[in-house]
Amino acid sequence: MDSTISSRIILGVNKIMERYDKEVTNLAEAKINRAYIIKDVKTNDEELKNFLFTLGCYEGETVTVLSVLSENYVVSVKDARYSIDKDLAEAIIV
Amino acid sequence: MKVALTGNPNSGKTTLFNAITGKIERVGNWAGVTIEKKEGKVKKSLNKGNTSITAVDLPGAYSMSPFTSEENVTSDFVKNENPDIIINIVDATNLSRSLFFATQLLELGIPVVVALNKSDLNKKKGIAINVEALSQRLGCSVVETISTDGNHNGLEELISTAIEIKGKRQKAPFDSSAVDMADKSAIEASDRKRFEFVKSIVSEVENRKVSSNRQTKQDAIDRVLAHKWFGIPIFAVVMWAVFSISQTHLGPLLADTLVGWIDGFYGWAEGLLGEGVSPVLSSILLDGIIGGVGAVIGFLPLIMVLFFLLALLEDCGYMARVAAVMDRFFKRVGLSGKSIIPIIIGTGCAIPGIMATRTIKNERQRRTTAMLTPFIPCGAKLPVIALFAGVFFNDAAWVGTTMYFVGIAFIILGALIVVRITGEKNAKSFFIMELPEYRFPSIKRATISMFSRAKAFIIKAGTIILLCNAVVQLMQTFNWQFQVVTEGAADASILASIASPFAILLIPLGFGVWQLAAAAITGFIAKENVVGTLAVVYSITNFINTEELALVEGASDVASVMGLSSVAALAYLMFNLFTPPCFAAIGAMNSEMENKKWLWSGIAFQFATGYVASFITYQIGTLLTTGAFGSGFLPGFIVVAVIVVYVAYLMRRGDKRATEKLALSI
Repeated sequence: MDSTISSRIILGVNKIMERYDKEVTNLAEAKINRAYIIKDVKTNDEELKNFLFTLGCYEGETVTVLSVLSENYVVSVKDARYSIDKDLAEAIIV
Repeated sequence: MKVALTGNPNSGKTTLFNAITGKIERVGNWAGVTIEKKEGKVKKSLNKGNTSITAVDLPGAYSMSPFTSEENVTSDFVKNENPDIIINIVDATNLSRSLFFATQLLELGIPVVVALNKSDLNKKKGIAINVEALSQRLGCSVVETISTDGNHNGLEELISTAIEIKGKRQKAPFDSSAVDMADKSAIEASDRKRFEFVKSIVSEVENRKVSSNRQTKQDAIDRVLAHKWFGIPIFAVVMWAVFSISQTHLGPLLADTLVGWIDGFYGWAEGLLGEGVSPVLSSILLDGIIGGVGAVIGFLPLIMVLFFLLALLEDCGYMARVAAVMDRFFKRVGLSGKSIIPIIIGTGCAIPGIMATRTIKNERQRRTTAMLTPFIPCGAKLPVIALFAGVFFNDAAWVGTTMYFVGIAFIILGALIVVRITGEKNAKSFFIMELPEYRFPSIKRATISMFSRAKAFIIKAGTIILLCNAVVQLMQTFNWQFQVVTEGAADASILASIASPFAILLIPLGFGVWQLAAAAITGFIAKENVVGTLAVVYSITNFINTEELALVEGASDVASVMGLSSVAALAYLMFNLFTPPCFAAIGAMNSEMENKKWLWSGIAFQFATGYVASFITYQIGTLLTTGAFGSGFLPGFIVVAVIVVYVAYLMRRGDKRATEKLALSI
């Protein structure tokens, strides 16, 4: 009995996740292990934007979230891994 | 001939620099270890030419347009100081990012040779790079290097290539000279094209078996080490292991042996001087110099073990993960996760710790970290802790541990206070840090780092500390008329008369005697001096003893000579640990804060913290142990109250500014 209930819950959660998935707008909502194309980097901090650019993090480039750890996101850009915080992840529009 | 070493952060510039010059500059496995340029002559064994070559190691940069202040150093140097050759160190595992900077360097009109570093890692990761094709596309020489390897590392070829290309100019593969540098969007468009160009090269010369955005073992390790809940306990265990090994297990074990030798030397020197030498001279030589310096040197093994372990920690790639773990906590008190790195380095020595704050982009966060880093007990404070733990607390391990926790508590508290005083409690800042690959730490590098620290420590003991001890001994031996003070009348000595006025201020803290005041004062020159001076003023030469019996016996002796209660001893320890660090560290604070107001406020804050902490420890402790407050409670209480009220006032004022700012931004 328990197993069917739990599997139903998992199914339900998956459904919610899928719906949620369609509305991914920034990196903080991104699904793990899926490559996204960056649409925009939303920040008033021009310097930060330029810095991200030199790392290869700018519109049109791909970015992948590898793990979410303690409110930090491990992302892969070009061939490097970075740890970024939630604020920055939210600023990267995909 | 001048060769500049440039490249992305953590591409291995300093490791390569150390390998070609034989120097031992600090290296570590995270981005931003090097913050200043360093120069060195290339070894004769690598340099087959006739002219000597000066290599200049520069901080890492991602591009010619700087983001952090240490990146500035790099672009300024290659633009203004006309190096003859640029060696561009490219991380072979990350061509697609590194070549952006490389193509910029190729445009400068200075001959460039690319060192394709970490090429050993490529084989492991199944990445193949066609070096010839890369060289052709870039229009410059490319040499594969493994700078961590002792042999077959490609460094000889790298240097001979550098000599060959001197004076030659390459044609830039990507030319942006036609771009109008005043037009922002034009620059942006050009930079985009540059990245496109880099991509086309990479797709041509690089063959990857596994795409870099796939999960690897590294990511699995990250999920444990930087886990939301396990991250902090793991970090605590790691640091606890570092300190317990260096301070309660291996360190003291080695120290015992060393102290035995020093005692032997003392006895030998005593015998050598014989009876005929004047007692004044012999006391200066034996107690002042051998005793004082010996007391400090005795703690050398503790410091060496600590530095060895810290070097292992810095080498394996864990530091960047700790920064990520700590970010969410540090953010709450207005710091950055990166602030943890200076603090960890500061457990070794506050000076490199304070200098490591330079990678923190946000000015307030950087300055606050530089101001608070000295609260974590450094290697030089270890002897002081070990001495007091041994003498007054039966070598209890909790004393040392508590001091680190108190240090951390002060850092957090200090950060909270500073962020409110500056009125930036609503300020937002972003965190981004590259996560380097984990690797097995190199025992060789850790050993080198340990011995270079040991050397610096011995030099310090043989110069500054020796001099201070000799001066202290002289000042204690003579009175103002330059007569030898008679036994039992030490209060008439020069030292006593200078230190006594300060001692009055320390009465509310429980240690208002001139001997302890003198030791605290010499502590500002170098913290090791606290132990040295205490050894001299109380004529004690041995603080660590081998046999347990001797320790108990010796310990009670030392305690009775000093005439301090355990509570007062703890207060004295706190005072020494949490007041401003040595002058050298204050100098480092000055250069990193770049602001006199911050510097003086920082020093005042440190004094206030040390005084208040010490006062509370002594008075509350005395109240608990004896049932009454200690001496000088009222005047001390007034001082502490004034400090607290003033800080509270500053915080209120800052809050008001913060609300105004918030109102403005909405």
